Amino acid sequence: MKKIYLPSGMRDNILSEAKTKKELQDCFEKVFESYGYSKIYTPSIEFFSTYQNAFTNLNSNSMYKFFDQDGNILSLRMDMTVPIARVCATKFKDYQIPLRFYYSCNVFKVRESFAGKRNEVTDCGVELIGLDKKNDVEVLMCAFDAMKTLNVKTYAIECGDSGLFKKACNLLNMEDETIEKLADLIDRKSMVDLKIFLDTLNLEPHQKRFMLELPLLNGDISILSKAKKLCFDESLKEKIEELEGIYTLLSKLNYHRHLRFDLGKIAHLDYYTGLIFEGFIEGVGVSVLSGGRYDKLLSKFGMDVPACGFSIKIDYLLDVIKHSSKKSCKLFYPQDKEVEALLMAANLRKEKNVELIPWQKENIWIKEDETDVIIDSVDERSS
Amino acid sequence: MSLSIALTKGRLEKNTVALLEQCGYGIESLKDKGRALVFQDTKKDIRYFLVKSNDCITYVVHGVADLGIVGKDTILENSQDYYEMLDLECGKCKFIVASLPENDLFHKVGHIKIGTKYPSVAKDYFLKRNMDVEIIKIDGSVELAPILGLCDGIVDIMETGTTLKENGLVVLDTVHEISARVIVNTAAYKLKREEIMNVLQDLQRMVNQDVKKDR
Repeated sequence: MKKIYLPSGMRDNILSEAKTKKELQDCFEKVFESYGYSKIYTPSIEFFSTYQNAFTNLNSNSMYKFFDQDGNILSLRMDMTVPIARVCATKFKDYQIPLRFYYSCNVFKVRESFAGKRNEVTDCGVELIGLDKKNDVEVLMCAFDAMKTLNVKTYAIECGDSGLFKKACNLLNMEDETIEKLADLIDRKSMVDLKIFLDTLNLEPHQKRFMLELPLLNGDISILSKAKKLCFDESLKEKIEELEGIYTLLSKLNYHRHLRFDLGKIAHLDYYTGLIFEGFIEGVGVSVLSGGRYDKLLSKFGMDVPACGFSIKIDYLLDVIKHSSKKSCKLFYPQDKEVEALLMAANLRKEKNVELIPWQKENIWIKEDETDVIIDSVDERSS
Repeated sequence: MSLSIALTKGRLEKNTVALLEQCGYGIESLKDKGRALVFQDTKKDIRYFLVKSNDCITYVVHGVADLGIVGKDTILENSQDYYEMLDLECGKCKFIVASLPENDLFHKVGHIKIGTKYPSVAKDYFLKRNMDVEIIKIDGSVELAPILGLCDGIVDIMETGTTLKENGLVVLDTVHEISARVIVNTAAYKLKREEIMNVLQDLQRMVNQDVKKDR
C-alpha cells in the first residue's frame, strides 16, 4: 500500500498557516530575547529514563517510544522543560545562575486517534533557572507580553497554586489514592461526583466545604478574599496571600487587566511546586499557554536550584490568528525581457515580496497578491 | 458574548428542551424543528445544535460548543478534558451487569467474556473488582449475545428492565447510575464565565424545583 497519508495526529503546515506560524514564532522569540533569554536547541530524542526520572506519575502511554541498537528505550521529547533541566544540570552545573533559555521546538505526545488532536506541536517558551518564587512576576510579565503580541481583545492568564490543594490534603492526612481521586474530580470540576465522594470521606463540615468550593473559586481578584474565608488552616491562607501579592505587583505595573485566578487548578505535571498558570484566548477550546514553578525538578538531575517557565503552543493559535506579513506580488514576464523583469523585481523587493513567473505573452505584468491561491497563476500562465 | 450549546438528540432531547423552556429560554424553534440542525434562541444570545451523544462531547472538547447536555453513560465511556458541572436529574437509567440466570459470571472459574456497547465502562468496572475478563464490542441488541452464546454476560444500559426480562436475563449488579449532565468547555469557562454561570444557575434552579415536586 502506498503511504500517501500521515500518521495519526500529524499535520503539514502549508501556505498561510505556515506563514502565520513563522510570524508568531518570530514575535514570541522577540519578546523572549528582550527579557534576556538565549536560544537553546536540544535533540528530539531523549532516553525514556530521563522522563521517568523527572516524573513520578509519568503516563508512558502518551510517549512515542522505540529502541536504540543497545536495547535502551528512547522516546521523542514530550516537552522542553525536562530536556532543559537535563542540560542545565549537566552542562551548567558550576555556571553563574540565573540561567535564562528560550526555545521553539516541536514536542510529541501520543493522543487518541480520530479526535482531531495534534500529536506533534511547536512549543515556544522560556525557562528561568536559579531564581525562586520572588521572581514569579517577571515570568508572568513575559507571558503577558507574549500574549499581547497576538492583538486579540479577549484573553486571560489564569493563575493558581499547585501547593494549595496538596497542602490541604496533607493537613487532612489523606491517603494517596484518595488524593488522586479528589484531584481528578476537582480538576475536571466534576461537581456532582465530587459531592458524592466528599460525603464518603470523614471530614469536618468546613473542610468539606473548602474542597467542594475549590473548583468554583475562579474569576477576578475578588475570589481570593472569598477563598481566604473558606480556608481551614493558616498555611492555606498564606498560599492565597502569595497570589494576592502577585496581583498587587502586577497591578502596579498595569499588567492586571487580563489576570484571573483559578484555585481549583490541579497541576497535571507533578513537578510543579508553586505558581501554575494557563493562558486562554477567544476561539480556542484549550489553553494556549501553560507554565509554572518547578523548584524540585532540577535536583532530580543533580542541580538543586529553583526554576520557573512557560510555553505557548503555537499550533493552537493558527485557527484564530491570521498573518499580517508584508505585501507580496507576482511578476509575470516573457523570456526575452528577463533582464528588465529581474531589475524591476529587485526594485520592488525593497517594499514587498516578489515571485517571478515566466509566461508566453509579450508584456510584463505585476499582480498584487492578497491570497495564497497558487492555482490562479497557473491558469494565467496558460491563458 | 454569545453561547453555543450542544444538545443530545434522542432519549434526552425532550427532557432537556422542556427544562430550557421552564427556564424561560426562547426555544420555540427547537420544539418544531423540521430538518434544521442549528437553532437560535429567540430571547437570549444562545445558539443550540442537536447532535449524537458522542459528538456532543467532541464538540465541547474542541470548543465549538461552550456547553453540552449529555448522558453520564457517554461521559463515562469518553472521559476527556471538559468540566462536568451539573446533574440535571432527568433521563435517569443505569449501567448494569446481566447474564442468563444459570450463568453467574461472578462465580465462574475460567475465561469470562463480556459483550457491551461500552467497552471502557465494562473494562473499568471489572478492573475495580480485580477480575480479568475479555470484552467484546457489540453495537446493538446486546441482550442477544449471551443468549446465542457469544459471551457470558453483558454490561448495558437499563431503563425499565423489560427488554432484559423478556429475553430471560437477570441483573447481577449495578455499575453506575446515569442521568443527564451539563458539561462545559474548559477555555470557554474561563472567558465566558458569567454567561455560562447564568445558564448553569437557571438550570440548577429548575432542577431543584423539579426535585421538590417529585417529593
